[in-house]
Amino acid sequence: MVDTARDPQLPTHWFNILHDRPHYVTSAMSRSRLPDELKSARRSVQLQQPLSLARQSVNTADRFVPIPGEVLDLYAQYRPTPLRRAVRLEERLGANARIYYKYEGANLTGSHKLNTALAQAYYYARAGVKHLVTGTAAGQWGTALAYACQVMGLGCTVFMVRATLRQKPVRGEMMRLFGAVVHESPGELTEVGRRALQEDPAAAGTQAVANGEALALAAEDSGSRFAVGSGENSVLLHQTVIGQEAVAQLAVLGEFPGCVIACMGAGSNFGGIALPVLGAAEDSGRPVRLVAVESAACPKLTRGRYRYDLSDALGTTPVTKVYSLGSGYAPPPVYAGGLRHHSAGPLASAMHADGTLEAMAVDQLTAFRAGLLFCQAEGILPAPESAHAVAGMLDVVSRHPRQQPPLVVLVHISGHGLLDLGAYTAFAAGQIEPVTADETSLARSLTALEEFNHAIAAPPRAP
Amino acid sequence: MSSLQAEVAVVAAGDSSEVDVSQEPHRRLVFDALTAVIPADQRPEALDEQQELYADLGMDSLRFVRLLVELESKLGVNLLDEELMTIELVTVADLVDLVGRISLPAAE
Repeated sequence: MVDTARDPQLPTHWFNILHDRPHYVTSAMSRSRLPDELKSARRSVQLQQPLSLARQSVNTADRFVPIPGEVLDLYAQYRPTPLRRAVRLEERLGANARIYYKYEGANLTGSHKLNTALAQAYYYARAGVKHLVTGTAAGQWGTALAYACQVMGLGCTVFMVRATLRQKPVRGEMMRLFGAVVHESPGELTEVGRRALQEDPAAAGTQAVANGEALALAAEDSGSRFAVGSGENSVLLHQTVIGQEAVAQLAVLGEFPGCVIACMGAGSNFGGIALPVLGAAEDSGRPVRLVAVESAACPKLTRGRYRYDLSDALGTTPVTKVYSLGSGYAPPPVYAGGLRHHSAGPLASAMHADGTLEAMAVDQLTAFRAGLLFCQAEGILPAPESAHAVAGMLDVVSRHPRQQPPLVVLVHISGHGLLDLGAYTAFAAGQIEPVTADETSLARSLTALEEFNHAIAAPPRAP
Repeated sequence: MSSLQAEVAVVAAGDSSEVDVSQEPHRRLVFDALTAVIPADQRPEALDEQQELYADLGMDSLRFVRLLVELESKLGVNLLDEELMTIELVTVADLVDLVGRISLPAAE
C-alpha cells in the first residue's frame, strides 16, 4: 500500500502526554530494595523491549512521535474508525446531552488492542526478535497480538486466563487461526502456573498469573520476548490515534467534548481516547472531565491504594507506583475479563492521583443492562468492558442538570461483544449477578500490599 | 536528535582496534549516567566498577532503558535495536566496556 491510500484523517503521529506532563514518567522502586524471595537468580540486565519502543515510555522531549510508515499502512486498513452520534440512545434517554461514541470494534480482531499490537510487533521484528509471548485476560489483546505477529512474521504464544478462555473458547480459536499457540492459564507449562494450581486447582486465573507465565516462557529463549497489551506508557502512546481522530472528527461537527468516558483495565483503553482530548483541551483552554469506569469486582481506583506494587505473578517486571488492590488479589470471575487486572497502569494512576481523571466502579449487571440498551438503540453490541463505559456514561448523563446547556459526551466503545453473546444471553435470561469485590481476598491483599511497601521503604544496605 | 547525531552500532567485544585504550572518560560518563537515573536514596554512597547492575544497583528493565537513553544523550547517538537486544551486562565495568565499544562516527 502506498501513502495515497491512507485516509487524510489518519494521524501520522502518536500524541505523547509525557511531553506536557513529564512528572507522569513511571516511578519504579529499585530492585535492590525487594525482599529476597522476589529477587531473581539472574545477575545480568538485558533489554526486554527494543530501545526504540522502550524509549517511548520515558520520552519527555517530543509531543508528537512519528508513526513508522509500515505501521501507518497497516493502520490504514481499518483507520480512521467511526465516530457517531448516538441519536437514538439520546431519544430513549430523553437526555440533556449530545452523546458521541468512538467505535474501535470494526477491525479484524475486534478491539482497539490492534493499535499497539501492530506497533509492538513492528519494533520487535525490526530488532531481530523471533517470537512474542504474552498474557491475555479477555482475549482481545491476545487476538490482536496473534494477528500482528502473523503480519510481521513472528511466532506468538498466548497465555489466556482460564475463566475467560472457558467462557469464550472461540477467542482461543481466533488466535490459533492467526498461528498463535494458546495455553490456558494457570497451567502446567510453567512454574508460575504450577504454583497457582497448587494453591487452588480450580483457580479462575488472573492477568498477573498469565503475564507471569508468559514472562517465564519468554525468559527460556533468547529469541523470545514478553509483550504487554496495556498499562505501559508506550502502549498508551500507540492508542492515542483513537483520541486524535475523535478530536478531529468532532471538530468537523463543531463539537468538543465536555466529558470523555472509557473503561479502565490498566489504562490503554482510557488513555487512548482521553489523552489527546486532554492535550487539545489544554491547548484551547477548554475544560474537560475524564471519567474512568472500572469493574466493581476489581475496583483498583476507587478502593485501591497508591503504592509500589508488582504487576505480574513472576515478579520480574518493574515495581511501579500504581493504584492497586495488591498483586495477591484474586478478583471474582466476571465477564469483563479485561477489567480484572489488580492495578491500574502507572500513567493512569498518576492521573488519578493528581485529580486529572475521576473514577467510578460499575457492577457487571449494570454494565450488561447498559450494553444491551446501547445495542438496541445504536445497533452495536459493546464488549462487556465497553459496556462498563456505557454504564458510566448513562450515570454521568443522568446527573447532568436539565437547566444547563446539553453536555457533550464522548464515550469509547473499544470493542465489539459478538464473541460475548453467551454472556448477553445469560443476562437476558436473568442469570447475571452484580458481582462486587471479594472482600476477604481484598482485605488480605491490601494488608500484604502495605507490608510490602513498608519492607521496601527501608534505606539501602551499605554496599 | 540533531542531524549531526547518527545511529551507531556496537563493535563486538575483543575488537581491540576500535576500543578506546583510556577507559577513564567512559567510566566518568557511565557514573554520571548512573547517578542521573538512580535516585540518591536508592543507590550506594559510592559507585564502583565491581558493583552489579541488577543486584547492587537494582537495575530493572525500566531503569536500564533510562540508562541507555541517558547514555545516548551524553554520546549524541541513537543506539541500534538489533545490537542492544543481544547484550547482557552484569557489572558496571561491563557497561563501561560497552560504552568503549560504541563505534562513534568519524569526525569530519
